[in-house]
Amino acid sequence: MASLDSPSLPPPRATAVLRWDIFCHVIDNYGDAGIAWRLARQLVAEQGQQVQLWLDDLPVLAALVPGVDENADRQCIDGVWLRQWLPDWQPEPVADVVVETFGCNIPAEYIDAMAASERPVLWLNLEYLSAEPWVEGCHGLPSKLPGNLQKYFFFPGFTDKTGGLLREADLLAQRDAFQGSKAEKIACLQSYDVRPEPQAMLISLFSYEVPALAGWLDDLREGEPVCLLIPQGRVWGDVERWLGVEALAVGEQYRRGSLTLHALPFAAQDDYDRLLWCCDFNIVRGEDSFVRAQWSGRPFLWHIYRQDDDAHRVKLEAFLALYLASFSETCGAALRQFWLDWNTGAELGDSWRTLRSERTGLQPGAQRWCEAQSQHENISQQIVTFAREGLIIAPADLA
Amino acid sequence: MKTAQDIKPHNVVLIDGSPWLVQKADYTKSGRNSAIMKMKLKNLLTGSSTETVYKFDDKVEMVSLDKIDTTFSYKADDLYVFVDEEYNQYELSAGDLETVLPFIVDGMTDICSAVFFEGKVISVDLPITIVRQIDYTEDAARGDTSGKVMKIAKLANGTEIKVPDFCNTGDWIEIDSRTTEYKCRTKAPA
Repeated sequence: MASLDSPSLPPPRATAVLRWDIFCHVIDNYGDAGIAWRLARQLVAEQGQQVQLWLDDLPVLAALVPGVDENADRQCIDGVWLRQWLPDWQPEPVADVVVETFGCNIPAEYIDAMAASERPVLWLNLEYLSAEPWVEGCHGLPSKLPGNLQKYFFFPGFTDKTGGLLREADLLAQRDAFQGSKAEKIACLQSYDVRPEPQAMLISLFSYEVPALAGWLDDLREGEPVCLLIPQGRVWGDVERWLGVEALAVGEQYRRGSLTLHALPFAAQDDYDRLLWCCDFNIVRGEDSFVRAQWSGRPFLWHIYRQDDDAHRVKLEAFLALYLASFSETCGAALRQFWLDWNTGAELGDSWRTLRSERTGLQPGAQRWCEAQSQHENISQQIVTFAREGLIIAPADLA
Repeated sequence: MKTAQDIKPHNVVLIDGSPWLVQKADYTKSGRNSAIMKMKLKNLLTGSSTETVYKFDDKVEMVSLDKIDTTFSYKADDLYVFVDEEYNQYELSAGDLETVLPFIVDGMTDICSAVFFEGKVISVDLPITIVRQIDYTEDAARGDTSGKVMKIAKLANGTEIKVPDFCNTGDWIEIDSRTTEYKCRTKAPA
């Protein structure tokens, strides 16, 4: 672990079970809460840690996790103590490890308490996921702040020199069991009242607004049958305009040529995984669903979060440079063009038809990528190791 | 205080009471219009270097260091002695001079800035443009006057820099002391 001059080494901890406070400020959408929750849950379930998750927008998490009471100040879900992060901060004991997600500003009083703590406290900033090469050079670096505090930047990523990806230990086994069972797939689809034609291509669509969506949907009306599953979200407006309906309602189905559209409810995290596992192609957005699509082992399109100065284009290209290495040249080129067209608002017809012509090569490539990524340690494993090293726990305590 | 995104190379920041020279500062967009600043810092008191990362809006304390005009006088043992116009002497080690050391030569007439922190001289800055003589370089290839073909030239103290192929041994050249890059040929200093 990098450090500035003359680090004052904290004394060994008495136990390997650390107390964690994870702070999450919901900026927009569902990724903030979803990622913070996954990390918290995995730290408890797989790493045996004690975790409090401080969240300033519980209704967002309630949409993702069944059983969350969006009004409770304090509740325990799956072993995670879920806390309302209110503007009026009340003093709380400082944890061993403090995680701010995506650089959120944790309460000043809490920072003061960290600085005053007689016990060592490790402060981490869990950053955004990016495939850009600079991430490797920044992962694990300290940030020296006023008041004798030091914070470390923890970067998720796709290589061994990064913090890895969020992945539950049994996720791929669960997925394999699901994808190996026709009955499970049918049951999952029927739970949404979806009964696709046997030869239909199943596509899930959970994206931001798409200027050229209408042209793509026009294209899907022709040719082989397509079953488009659309969980409630920002893309519904484009779909409504194309259908000529005022408002979609959950459970509605529309048939246009060889295209069938299903308006699905917003999916909780575990349900969304199963939906991804069902489909032949997934269209996802943001960060959390982007990662889940990769673990589905199915080909996908990433609708990336748009940033000023087209910064997102660089991030998109950086990921494509890694991801497409798992595909044949022609298949990779087809995927790349469809991704770029989708993310730049270009017409989608040509690139979609080319992609469909490469359909047989998509699934093996996606599987290869998923398999390669699963070889890396996941975030919860790496962040616990990082924390233990940061707090200088004696090896005997790690047993 | 400045925000981290406003920090530039050659700024000096104060961390834990020590002045740190910013040697490199890279601004990178991380996600959702957020950004980070990765910096390479050198402790001006100890000479040690480190890398660090800040959020773009983190507050960083700046240091304004006192500076006095000096000239290089002589080297005694391992110390480099600079004098100001009142003949006060300032001794610095090679470590203190790390980045400018390759351009310290006997007889240099550059007006240098001796840099002080809490009353103690900690380093010396050279003028942005310095003039040095090429002590040795290979003969120029015939006909190339474009300046695009570069070769190695040695200065009097052994420092090597890249110069255009048309430069010759004995030529005087201007060098950018911040980048250590050749700028142009010039006349000998008066």
